[in-house]
Amino acid sequence: MNETVELIVFILRLATPFIMLIIIALCFLSLGSGRRDEHALIALDDEDKGIRYPVLYWENSLGRSRGSDIRIPDPTVSRDHAVLLRREKGWFVTDTGSKSGVYVNGKKTSGRCPVFVGDKITIGVTTLRLKRADAPAISNQRKKVKKPARFGTVSCSFILSLITALVVILSVEGMLYSGRTTALPHAAIFLAISWIFYALSVKVFQRRSFELESLALLLSGTGIILNAVHDQKQGYSQLIALFLGICVYCFMIWFIGDPDRVMKWRIIIYLLAIGMLLFTLLLGKSVNGAKNWIIIGPISMQPAEFAKIAFIFVGASTLDHLQTKKNLLGFILFTGICVGIFFLMSDFGTALIFFITFLIISFMRSGDFKTIILAVAAAILGVMLILSIKPYIAERFQAWGHVWDYAATSGYQQVNTFIYSACGGFFGVGLGNGSLQYVFASESDLVFGLASEELGLLAAILLSVTIGGFMLYSRAVTTRSRSAFYSIAACTAAGLLVFQAALNVFGVVDLLPLTGVTLPFVSYGGSSMISCWGLLAFIKAADERTYSQRRTKAQVLRSS
Amino acid sequence: MRKISSRSFMIFIMTVAFFAGIAYHTVNLIAHSSEWITNPMNDELPSVYGLANAGKIIDRNGVILAQSVDGKRIYNENEDTRKACVHVVGDDSVNIATAIQTVHRTDLTENKFTGNFIFGLGLPQLFKSGDSVVTVGNDITLTIDSRLQRTALEALGSYSGAVFVYNYKTGEILCMVSTPVYDPQNVPEDINTDPAYDGAYLNRALSAAYPPGSTFKLITANAALNEIPDIEQSLYTCTGKDQVGGHDIVCFEPNGTVDIKEALSQSCNVFFAKIAAALGKDKMTAYAERAGFNSSIKFDGIESAESVYNVSSASENELGWSGVGQYTVLETPVNMAVISAAIANGGAPVMPYLISSMKGMTREPAVGSAIMNKETADKIADMMSYTVSSNYGRDYVCGALDVCAKTGTAEVSDDGLSHAWITGFSRDEDCPLAFSIILEYGNSSYSVAIPAANKVLTKAAELYKTTSPYNF
Repeated sequence: MNETVELIVFILRLATPFIMLIIIALCFLSLGSGRRDEHALIALDDEDKGIRYPVLYWENSLGRSRGSDIRIPDPTVSRDHAVLLRREKGWFVTDTGSKSGVYVNGKKTSGRCPVFVGDKITIGVTTLRLKRADAPAISNQRKKVKKPARFGTVSCSFILSLITALVVILSVEGMLYSGRTTALPHAAIFLAISWIFYALSVKVFQRRSFELESLALLLSGTGIILNAVHDQKQGYSQLIALFLGICVYCFMIWFIGDPDRVMKWRIIIYLLAIGMLLFTLLLGKSVNGAKNWIIIGPISMQPAEFAKIAFIFVGASTLDHLQTKKNLLGFILFTGICVGIFFLMSDFGTALIFFITFLIISFMRSGDFKTIILAVAAAILGVMLILSIKPYIAERFQAWGHVWDYAATSGYQQVNTFIYSACGGFFGVGLGNGSLQYVFASESDLVFGLASEELGLLAAILLSVTIGGFMLYSRAVTTRSRSAFYSIAACTAAGLLVFQAALNVFGVVDLLPLTGVTLPFVSYGGSSMISCWGLLAFIKAADERTYSQRRTKAQVLRSS
Repeated sequence: MRKISSRSFMIFIMTVAFFAGIAYHTVNLIAHSSEWITNPMNDELPSVYGLANAGKIIDRNGVILAQSVDGKRIYNENEDTRKACVHVVGDDSVNIATAIQTVHRTDLTENKFTGNFIFGLGLPQLFKSGDSVVTVGNDITLTIDSRLQRTALEALGSYSGAVFVYNYKTGEILCMVSTPVYDPQNVPEDINTDPAYDGAYLNRALSAAYPPGSTFKLITANAALNEIPDIEQSLYTCTGKDQVGGHDIVCFEPNGTVDIKEALSQSCNVFFAKIAAALGKDKMTAYAERAGFNSSIKFDGIESAESVYNVSSASENELGWSGVGQYTVLETPVNMAVISAAIANGGAPVMPYLISSMKGMTREPAVGSAIMNKETADKIADMMSYTVSSNYGRDYVCGALDVCAKTGTAEVSDDGLSHAWITGFSRDEDCPLAFSIILEYGNSSYSVAIPAANKVLTKAAELYKTTSPYNF
C-alpha cells in the first residue's frame, strides 16, 4: 500500500465511527419525532357526575384500582372491571371477570362486545357514554399532553445512502488491508437486498418509517462485511440468512398485525417450540460442547434461536387476557421446559437468556416483585443443585473474573480480546488487518473484540449502543402501541436482544462468564441473524405507525 | 396500558446497566492500554521469545554469563564457565526445561509501547517517527557463583551427575551443576546422537530422581527418634544380614553391635530396615512426605521433579528396603540438599532460590514447613557429624569446614552397579552450606562422592570463609 492510499484509508477509518454515529442519531431522532401525540382518541362521559374520562390508549383497563387506565371511583366497580379496546373494526368492551358485570345500553355483555359513539356502558352503578374526544365536554382531568420534540424529518433514503457509503468504505478497506479476500460482492448483494427491502417497504407495504430496519441493516451490514473479509463463505451464508431474516420479519409483521389472531395461535406455537427443542435434544448434533445443532445436508441451524421468537409469542398477551387470566402457570411451565432442555444441551448462554426473558415478561405482565424474587431464588437453587451433581460445569466458567490467570487455557479468548482491543485503539487497525481473527470463534463469540480491534472501540461501542437503543425505543412506544401484546412483546424482544448483547460483549471483556452467545445481527450465525430479525418485528409492530397505512386503506374500503 | 408502561422501567434499568458495563470496559481499556498491547501474547509485536534483544544474565559476582550483542546471544568468554553454567542459564533454544533462558525467557525481554490509547497500533507509518513498540532487555542476576560452578564441574569429572550447594540460612543457590554439559555457544552437532551427551539437556540437580540409598536413613532415623521411645538405648548386633519379612536384608559388611548413632555412621542396613518394617507403611510414608517426597520443589518459576516414596504395594521386606533408600524410592538432589538444610536449621529448611534480582519480582524468604522437630534435627546433626569424624575422616571430607554428612551407595542394577551419593551441611556460622552430590555409577560413595564433595566444599571455604565477617 503506498503512502497516498494509506492516508486515504486512514481518513476513511477515522470517518467510519462518525458515519455510524450520524446514522444511529438520525434514526433515533427520526423515530422520536414521528411519534403520535398522546391525545385522547375518544372519551367516556359520566353524565350523572359530570366527569369526562379521556381514552388515551388502544387498550384501556377500566376499574377501581389505582393503576387502571380509566379509574372509576365507584365502590361497586371491581378493581379490574373491564377492558375497553380498539381493533380495526372499532371499539369493544370486554368484561374481565367483574363481580357486577358490564352492560351496554342496558344489556348485560359476555365476552367482547362492540361499542359505538353514543352507546352507554354501565359498570357498577356508573354509566359512561362513549363520545368522540373532540366533542365538547365538561372539562375535567385534562392531562397534560406530552408532545415529542419535533425534529426536521429525515428521509429514510438518505439514511440508507449513508449505510451504503459505510458498507462500501468497509469493503474497500477490507480488500486493501486483508489482501487475501474481497468483500466487494458481499457489499453489492447486501446493498441490493437493502434497497429492494426499502423500496418494498415504502411502495408495496406503504410504510412510512424505515428507521428501525435501517438500524438493523447497519448492524447486519457491518457484521456481514466483517465476516466476509475474514471468510468469504461465511459472508455469503450471512447474506442468505439476512434475506431469510427479512422474509421472516415481513411475515411476522403481517402475522402479528391482528393481536387476537396471535392469541388464538399461541397454543400451537407453544407446542411447536417444545417439539422442536425436544427434537434437537434427541437428534441434534453437538458442536463445540453444546448439543444444539440440527444438521440436514449442507444446512445447519440452531432451533434454540427460533424458540426465542416462540417464547415471546407465548409470553406476551393482550390486556383483556392479562386481566382475566392472571396466573402464569402455563408460561412458567413453558419456561421450565425450555431452560431445562438448554441445560441438557449444555447451552447455558441460551438458558440464561430465556430465564432473563422470562423475568421481563412476567414482570411486564404482573408487575409483581414477589414472582421475580421467587423465580430468581428458584433459579439459584436449581443452579446450585445442578452444580452439586455436575461440578464440571463450573470448571467451564472458572476463568471468569481472573482471565489473566488462565491466559493459556479457558481465559485465552478473553485475554486476546483485551490485547487486540487495546491494539485497535479508538479507530481500529483496519478491517482485515488484525490478529484476533485467528483466535477461535472470533467472528461469533468474540465479534465485539474483532470489531474493536479492526474498526475501533468507537465503532464497536456504537454497534452495541444501537442494540441498547432498541430497548429505549421499545419503552418509549409502550403506551402508543395498538395492544398490550405489542407493548409486552416489544419490551421483551428488546430486553432479550440487549441481554444477549450484554452476555456477548461482557463475556469477552470478562464482566460476565463467557457463554458463547452471539452479538445480535453482527455475529456470524445464520439462525441468530434470522431470529434477530424476527425479534425486531415485535419491536416494529409495537409502533402503531407500522400499521397506520394499512388501516387507512381498510377504512377507505369500508366506507366505499 | 399505563401499568405496563411503568413496568417497562425495568428494561430501562437493564439498558442503563448495559451502557454502564460498556463504559466500564472503555475505562478499563484506556487504563490498561499500554500493558495489554505489550503483553507477550500479542502477535503484532516483535517476539519476546527471541533472545535478540534479551537482557544479561549475571552471576552473584557480576560475571556476565549471557548477553545479547548485535542481535546475537553471547555467553561467557570462558568455555568452562559456559559449560558449568549451561543448565542454569540455558541455551538459545529451550532445550533445558528448568534453565533461566527457558523459564524466564519473556522476562529477559520487554516491549515498551510508545504510542497512545487513541490509536493503539493503528497509526499509519507516515504519522510515526519510529516504531510504536520498542524492545528492551531486562537483566537477571543469579545467586550462583560461576567460580564454584567450575570447581563442581571439575569435581564431577567424567561422571554424569549433579552438584547442588546452597546457603541454608538465606536460601541462595551457590552452585547447581549437572553433567554431562555442553557449550551453549557452540552446541555440538551430535548432541542428540553421541552417547557422551546422554541426558545433556537435563538439569540432574532438579529434574532427575535417583534411588537415595543410605542417605534415606536420615529420614528413617527421624521417624525412629520420634516414634520409638527407647530407640537411643536399643542395641543390635549385625552379622551382615538378617531376615525382615521372611527375606534377607544385607549389609555391606557385618557391623557388630550398634546403637542408632553407630548404625547411621556405619550405615547398617538391617538396623534401619527393621525400623522401617516396624513403623509400617503409613508412618514411613508420612515421614517421607514431610521430607518432600511425592511432591516437587518450586522456586522462581522453576519446578523440580518429584521425589518418590510409594510403598502401597510393598511387602514387609520391601518396606524394610525402602527404609534404606532402596526398593522403588527415588529422590532428587535438590530435595536431598533441602533435607540436609532442614537438619542444619533445626528442622525447618529455608527453601532454595536462584534469582537474586529480576524486574518485577519481589522475594519473600521462603521457610519450608518443618521436616522434623528441633530436638531430633539436632540429634541427627550430631550423628552426621560423628559419621564424618568416626567413619570418613574430617580432613578427607573437608578440613576447612565443620561438615556433617551422610553418604549413600544406591544399588541400581542386579550386577552391583551403584550411584554414589553424599549429602550434608557445614556448621560454620560464616559459611552455612547445605549440599548434595550424586555421581551416576560412581559405585563407591567413599572413594568417589566424598572426594568430589571435598573439592567443592574446599573451594567454597576458600571463596567465602576468607570474606570475614560473613557477607554473602
